[in-house]
Amino acid sequence: MKAAASRRSLPLVLAAAAVAIEWARTLGMGVAPLAAGAAGGALLLALAAGSAPERLGLAPGRWGPRLIGAAALTVVLLLPAAVRWTGAMPLSGWFAVVAAVIAIGEEVAYRGVLFAALEEVWGGAVAVVGSAAAFALAHALSHPVAFLPAVFAAGLVLGVWRWLARDLVAPIAAHFLADFCL
Amino acid sequence: MTLRRALLGAAAAGYCVAAWAVAPGFFDGFAPPEPYRWEHPPPSVKNNPGPPLAGHATFKVASNGQVDPGSVFTGETQPQASASFLPGSFPPPSNGVVSLDIKPEASGYPDPTGLTCATNIYLFSSSAALQKDAVVTLRYSDAVPAPSDIYRAPQSGGGWTKLGSTGANAPFYIAVRTTQLGYFAACYETSSVASAAGTRVGGNQTLPIIVALGILLVVLGGIPLAFLRRRAAAEEPSTWPPRTGGRRPGSGTGGASRGSRRGR
Repeated sequence: MKAAASRRSLPLVLAAAAVAIEWARTLGMGVAPLAAGAAGGALLLALAAGSAPERLGLAPGRWGPRLIGAAALTVVLLLPAAVRWTGAMPLSGWFAVVAAVIAIGEEVAYRGVLFAALEEVWGGAVAVVGSAAAFALAHALSHPVAFLPAVFAAGLVLGVWRWLARDLVAPIAAHFLADFCL
Repeated sequence: MTLRRALLGAAAAGYCVAAWAVAPGFFDGFAPPEPYRWEHPPPSVKNNPGPPLAGHATFKVASNGQVDPGSVFTGETQPQASASFLPGSFPPPSNGVVSLDIKPEASGYPDPTGLTCATNIYLFSSSAALQKDAVVTLRYSDAVPAPSDIYRAPQSGGGWTKLGSTGANAPFYIAVRTTQLGYFAACYETSSVASAAGTRVGGNQTLPIIVALGILLVVLGGIPLAFLRRRAAAEEPSTWPPRTGGRRPGSGTGGASRGSRRGR
């Protein structure tokens, strides 16, 4: 009984921790962008400590479909911006490295460990919506409210792929490329 | 399988609609810039949040006889123009204080013929002549093509000179070192749109190229992959996506893992 209650509360604890880390990162980036970004990404990654790669969608193999999936997700994420492209410069130098750390950290935290915890308790559909909601909430401090539906919708796209393909490699790659370009 | 594709397609379509409602679209990792305040908004900018703000700072002479180092910023939350100065950038003035001003200019500056600017034109002025390099940083709008360089024109009159760029310390910022103050703006040559390079509009074409490569990869890689999967499916049940439990994702409430975990 106690174990079941503990398992049910785990997703909430994970979501709260991930959102708290993101909010702290956002506040810290106003002072030291590179250090706070890197530290925030690393802390998000740490949430997955002890999880098996298979549980996170990171089991090796099936690289062909994953590559195609990464390309397709990247196209979807970047399409609205590409259509009205204004030539903004992509991130350079250490900003690109930090963007990679943040993208990997966010995917592992939201679509990896939080998704797995939600799915184990309430199923895949709740995991998709719940991880996307936490992902959007995490951006509440850094983004104007008008941006949050797009962030939530991006979380849904990446979450649906994670659910249907049992894969996190493609969302990580697509998320990084989207961050890098925008 | 059809339900899965429909679900993924619906999520993708929903995202495109949501992202289209805000420019530039998916924006993550770093916060989106606040809307740029234009003195003369370009036609593509429909909602100008207000006129750009000015900046002012004073620098005192330190005990070592040198003018203190420091920076001056315009008044926006994310300053649209700033300048940083080293110790001794100015000769010690008789009154012991050097004042610096940044003013967005609506008129009176040399016509930037042949240039398309992604920023306002700012007049950087000081009460003493600059004698060391200063760093001028400009934030540019995300609603127009990105600039390639910072240009300067003297306050006393004359044409615009390309200073180049020392890169950016954050997205949508461009900086340059300068030995003189005056009018500054971040621009690109208007003719570069149709230049021989053909691919350079303002900053670069990274995003369209990545999207085009992604589409190419999906089409060229996806078709053979689908063909191979169909052939494999004829021989044995599909193993991609992997199925980890008794319930298939997308076939109802609950996921694959849920089914398998319940069985334990």
